[in-house]
Order: sequence, then C-alpha cells, then structure tokens
Amino acid sequence: MSDVDSAIAEDGPADWGVLSDLPGNPLMWVLIIGELLVFGALLIGFAVSRLLHPAMFHAGQASLNLWLAGTNTLVLITSGYCAANAVRARATAGVTASRLWLLAAMGLGGCFLAIKGVEYADKAAHGYGLETNAFYTLFFLLTGFHALHVVMGIIVLGIVAWHNNAENLETGAAFWHMVDLVWLILFPLVYLLR
Amino acid sequence: MRTVNGDSRDDWGRRLVRAWMVLLGLTLVSVGAALAGGTNNRSGLVAVVVALVASFIKARQVLDHFLDLRRAGPGWQAVFTALLLTILGSCLVLYVIAGWHG
Repeated sequence: MSDVDSAIAEDGPADWGVLSDLPGNPLMWVLIIGELLVFGALLIGFAVSRLLHPAMFHAGQASLNLWLAGTNTLVLITSGYCAANAVRARATAGVTASRLWLLAAMGLGGCFLAIKGVEYADKAAHGYGLETNAFYTLFFLLTGFHALHVVMGIIVLGIVAWHNNAENLETGAAFWHMVDLVWLILFPLVYLLR
Repeated sequence: MRTVNGDSRDDWGRRLVRAWMVLLGLTLVSVGAALAGGTNNRSGLVAVVVALVASFIKARQVLDHFLDLRRAGPGWQAVFTALLLTILGSCLVLYVIAGWHG
C-alpha cells in the first residue's frame, strides 16, 4: 500500500458535511440539485414567456404531438425502472443480470432519442425551427438540452456496465434517474399545460 | 433474511415495481386529463392541476425509490420537496395569471 493509500485508509471515508446524509455519491447529488435549478429556471422562463405571448404559445403547443411525447415519457420511466433494477441486481443477483438490465435501460434510452428524432423531423417538415418564434426557440432549447443529457446518460450507463462495481453502478444509475426526473417536470409544462 | 439498503431482496424488487406502476399510471392519468379537453383547446384548470400534482408525485417516486432519497434525513427530504414545489407552483401561478389575461 502506498503512503497516500495508507493515509486514506487511516482517515476513513471523506467527510462531505451535510451531503454525507444523502445516499450514494454526494457529487452526483450536487449535480442533481444543479440540474433541477437550471431546468427549473428554464421552465419558469418558458411559463413567463407563455404569459407574455399567449396566442403564439397556444398555437405552438397545439402543434406538438402529445402521443409521441406521452409515449416517450412511458419509455423513459421504464428505462429508469431498468436502471434501478440494475443496481438491485448487482447487489442481489450478480454482474451479468445487472448488465442485462443496463442494456435494457440503454436500449430504451435509444428509443427515446429515436422518437424525439421523429418529432423533430416532423417539426422541420412543417417548417418549424429554432428561429421560427420564441415558442419554438424555447421548445427546441429545453427538449434539445434534455436530449443531450439522454445521450450523455447512455454513454455513462455504457461505462458503468463495463466497469461494473457497485459504487460506479449506483452513481451512473443516479445520473440516469436525474435525466428521468427532469423529463417528468418538463413534460407536463411544455406539452400538457396549453 | 439478508437485507440490502434496509429492504429484503424481495421487498426491494416489489418496491421498484410499485414505483414503476405509479409512474406509468400517473402519466396515463395526466395525458388523459389533457386529451379530455381536446388538443386544440386551452387546458382547463382541473387538467392543469392534475398534470402538476401528478408531476410532483412522479418526481417524488423517482427521488424516493429510484434514487433512494427515502434513506436521507428529513432535512434533505424537505429541500427536494421545496425545490419541486417552487418550480411547479411558480408555473401553476403563471398559468393561472395567463388564464385571467387570456
């Protein structure tokens, strides 16, 4: 054991202060709170803009496909369930079962992106883009920023499937649940409240 | 019986299935409430409240059961509840104000 390892072993686990009360990796919780604040501010901005341009937002929201977005919500929820089961399987059934659950979560994440691609292609076919008006600017920024998180989440799940120890897995799954959590707040505010 | 994170193995699995079912069910309820008003009409207040309450409960399910926040202390529980209520509550207030002006 090196001197550094000896020092860490003698000191015990790092003291994260109040963050130590949270389960899993404290830094992941900092990221979760940060993402909730960023998306929360963007969504409140969306609601303020809707207040200022009611006709524009009503027409924009009426053009959104509720069926595709609703299906995507069910897909992402199920993907989160698979990621949670990957953590459970790692603790109770072993690495292979855990990896299979992660593959299912990643596959459903891919489905989410494919459906999002269909939605964007439909908007483009109708001539709607980032610069059409304030509604579409915010719509594409919010959903596109979230979709980038989905891409990152799939990569993170792939990494923790490969380096499948319990701590990595819990941290990677937490990132995926954060992506899920943000969508559960974004979906009603952008698609349902018209 | 061996326990992990305060659950027996079977309890852990059942808890995740229960959370998943609640999430799916509430999504269907909120989409159904939105569709009931017609996709081209403005949402009624009931559909708005259903969507936002469902969103809050779903977020708590993910936090408590997928992210295991239920194992954290009451202070952290309150922080996340306050954060969610601030975001969803602000949007509800702004929606109601937009309704008055519309």
